[in-house]
Order: sequence, then C-alpha cells, then structure tokens
Amino acid sequence: MKVVPSRSSEWVRPVASQKPASAIIEIDRVSQVFQTSTRKDHLALSDISLTIEEGAFVSILGPSGCGKSTLLYIVGGFVSPTSGAAKIKGQAITGPGPDRGPVFQEFALFPWKTVLGNVMYGPRQQGVRATEAEAQSRGLIEMVGLKGYENFYPKELSGGMKQRVALARTLAYHPEVLLMDEPFGALDAHTRTRLQNDLLNIWERDRKTVLFVTHSVDEAVFLSDKVVMMSKSPGRIRQVIDIDLPRPRRRNELLLDPRYQKYVVDIERMFDESDETGSPS
Amino acid sequence: MMSAAALTRRAAPALACIGLLATWQVASLALKNDSFPTAIEAIRAIPDILGDKESLINILASLRRMAIGFGIAVLVSIPLGLLMGRSRAVAAFFNPLLMVIYPVPKAALMPIIMLWLGVGDITKTLVIFLGVSLPVIYHSFEGAKAVEEKMLWSGAAMGLSAAQRLVRIVLPAALPEILTGCRTGLVLALITMITSEMIARQSGAGNILFNALDMGQYDTVFAMIIIVGAMGICLDAIFERIRARLVRWSEPQFDMPLSFS
Repeated sequence: MKVVPSRSSEWVRPVASQKPASAIIEIDRVSQVFQTSTRKDHLALSDISLTIEEGAFVSILGPSGCGKSTLLYIVGGFVSPTSGAAKIKGQAITGPGPDRGPVFQEFALFPWKTVLGNVMYGPRQQGVRATEAEAQSRGLIEMVGLKGYENFYPKELSGGMKQRVALARTLAYHPEVLLMDEPFGALDAHTRTRLQNDLLNIWERDRKTVLFVTHSVDEAVFLSDKVVMMSKSPGRIRQVIDIDLPRPRRRNELLLDPRYQKYVVDIERMFDESDETGSPS
Repeated sequence: MMSAAALTRRAAPALACIGLLATWQVASLALKNDSFPTAIEAIRAIPDILGDKESLINILASLRRMAIGFGIAVLVSIPLGLLMGRSRAVAAFFNPLLMVIYPVPKAALMPIIMLWLGVGDITKTLVIFLGVSLPVIYHSFEGAKAVEEKMLWSGAAMGLSAAQRLVRIVLPAALPEILTGCRTGLVLALITMITSEMIARQSGAGNILFNALDMGQYDTVFAMIIIVGAMGICLDAIFERIRARLVRWSEPQFDMPLSFS
C-alpha cells in the first residue's frame, strides 16, 4: 500500500491491514481514472483500501472533487473501478444488487409513481405480494413521518419530504448496506438537521451498515461510528477516525459535549493544515 | 362559480374561430372573387359533403390510412428512439440515417414510392408513416437521453435488468417528451394524409378537395378545408385529453410545494 503523503504524518495510519471477522465491505486498492472533457486522464481515486464492519455507521468525509461519491458508486456496483476490487461479504462486487441500497442527493424518485408506489416498487420487484408490500410500505411511510401523503406524487413534495420517501423506498427492500450519497446536501439547514435526527433514530433501531458520503464535518461526527477523511487530487484516504461517542445520540446533548466539539475542531484543523486540499466546506 | 379569467379562457377558442370566420366573410365580400367564396357559402356546402355517401367513404378511408400510418409509426418509433437515447452504439448507427431522411419532404418521395408500390393504400400509408416517425423518434430519443442516471441506478439496485429498466423506467420517465412528439406526429399525419392524396388521386379527403378545385367548385374546396381543419382540432383535442391523463404526475397540481420537511 502506498504511504499517504502528509505533513503531519503522526495521525496517518494504515487502514488496509485490519480485517475484522465481521467485515461486510472490503475495498481493496481501488483506483479510478476518468477521462476529462479535454481527453486527459484524471485520477479520481488512488489506491483506496478500506474495511467496513457490519452494523457500523461510516462516513466518508472530504472536499468536493475528492472522489468520495465515486467510491460509494463503486461499492454500489454502479461504477467499475479502473483497478482494485470491492467485495461484499467476501463476494466481488460486479454490479448493483438489492443487498446495497442507494439514497442519492438528487432523490431519484420515480415521478410517475405516488409516494406509496415508489416505496412499494422494490418489494414488488423482489416478488413480495401486493397486499403485503403495501402494508409494509405504509408502515415505512409512517416511520419516515409521511403518513397521509401516500397518494401524493413526488412533484407535490418538498425536498425534505422527497428524501424521506427515497429513504423509505430503499429501506423497503431490506438492503444489508445503505449507501447514502450526500443525502441531505440539497436541503436547507433546518430540514437537514431534522432529517439527520430522524435518520439517527431510525438507524439506532436496527443498526444497518451505513456508508454515508458528506462534506459536512458536523454531520459526519454527529452520525458516525467512524469517519474516513479523504483528500483530493488524487482522492486518497488520509485518516480513519473512530468517533467514540455514546448512543443513542441526542443533538441537544451532543452539541454541548466537549468530546463532540473536540472531534469537530480536530477534524476541521486537519483539513485546514493540509496544503492544497483545502477544508471541506 | 367561474371567475372572469377562467370564463375568458374557456371562451377564447370559440372567439378565435368566430373572429377568423368573420374576417374571412368580410374579406371575401370585399374582394368579390369567384375563387374565394364567403365563409357562409363554404359552411353551407359542408352538409352536402357529409351527407354524400361517396364522400363520407372517402373521408373515412383517409382517416383509416392515417390511423394505421400513425399507429405503426408510433409503435416502431418509440422503441427505436428509446434505444437510441440509452445506447450510444444504436444512436451512432441510426442518427446519420435519420439526418439524411429528416430534411426531405416526405411527399417528395411519393412519386418514387408510387413506382414501387402503386397508387393504393400502401403507398399513402407509408408516406404517413414516414412523416410521423421522425418527430416521434426524435422526441423519444431526447426523452430517453434526459432520464436521470440515478433513477436507473435506483432501479438496478432493486434488481431490474437492463430490458426492464428500459420498459419500466426509461419509458415512463420519458413519456411526457414522447407524447409531445406524438402530438406533432398527429398533425404531420394529417398533413401527409392530404398531400399523399393530392399526389396519388384515387380516393380520400384530399381527392374530394382537389377534384372540386379542378372543377371550379370553390365552395366545396373551402368546405373541405374547414372539414380537414376541424378534424385536426378534434384529433388534437382528443389526444391532448389522453396525454394530460397519462402524464398528470409531471404537471404540478399546486402552485407552490408544500412546506414540510
């Protein structure tokens, strides 16, 4: 494995060597090269190795353009890496599958389906009977706080509501891993906070493995067990930080907790210290 | 109770028609030209045409050709356009072909097609088919190209195969655009229907029109123009109703999104 270049190297530690028994996703020396519009090769991801344990909430944090979303798409099977490989439960990832459920910043709801139709889509595709799928979906819609909106079309909903539907739609087919691609990035601050709280409440019930891409330090620390810090050009892992904060987490308690504040300040400083990468905004 | 604005909106099409006919009437009276009958004379000739069994058979034959040409064109063009929109290879193959056909007036091909297939139904239906195909292909292509990648990824994660994604995601997502193409296609079907009958005279609404023109029965000519125009308006209105039902989800029902996070 290549050594990650950095000025303050004391906080750089290898991440590929550890392989716990409960690993659900393994990313092994993944690199991704894109061709830019000027036909030049752009190294988006360089030699990424990362192991994600089952039931962990892991955030990938980095400035825009560091390839963090690309890494998520590789795990989702939507993009094939130029070199290296990703595995889920020891099986090589060759394409998308219902074991990995994506939630995108753009919501990507089916606009011709109602809220209920969107949420039922996955279970129906998996062969669940209509009555059963509907009952389950109605439960999920209630869980994400949209009871009464079952027959609305996505066009009639606000951004926050759409993202709630997208989350319910993905949870409906019971993926083992949730892949969240800056899910709250398009929302205003207030909506964002509410959705973070609700996501945490939902997640703390069944502790599904979550891979969560964000450029917000607060968001990463608030939600995660582990924060993977990335730098850009080329996208590399700089450090993996365990967030040792008690759960269930409550925002009002956490914001006053000196340990939370220290994580946020430390991570922000690390980004500031780096030369050309800049801080994630 | 309808508001004044809504009332005006409802009455506007009728007012436009009345205005057009009135202008026509005045212009015709002012010009005093034999080949330009008044609106009233033309309208009086309509019952004679529609009451004549022969004419009615002719008009129905036209509509039948139009329906068949339009139907086949839509059935062929939508899948082709969608495939072109989602596969660069398919687009690269068909795009140059379509670019060659696109600027050619379809009626200009008719003499050649008549040499091959005669002056009957097949030739005329084929010309209608060609006229309708291009806008439908083009709009299906554009619609399919614009489908959000992430929507397809969401479907793939649920286990939809590539073929299922094309039918169950690309098709409905592109439907508003496809139907825009079909609406243009419907108007073109009417136009090519009349022009095909102008070139290959034998039967049809166009035949009645141009025979009357040859014989100097100008009130019949203008009556036929009204009939064809009315057919166009009716077909478009019917189509628009169907379209609005099919893509209700793409048009906002509220002026503002609900404020709720």
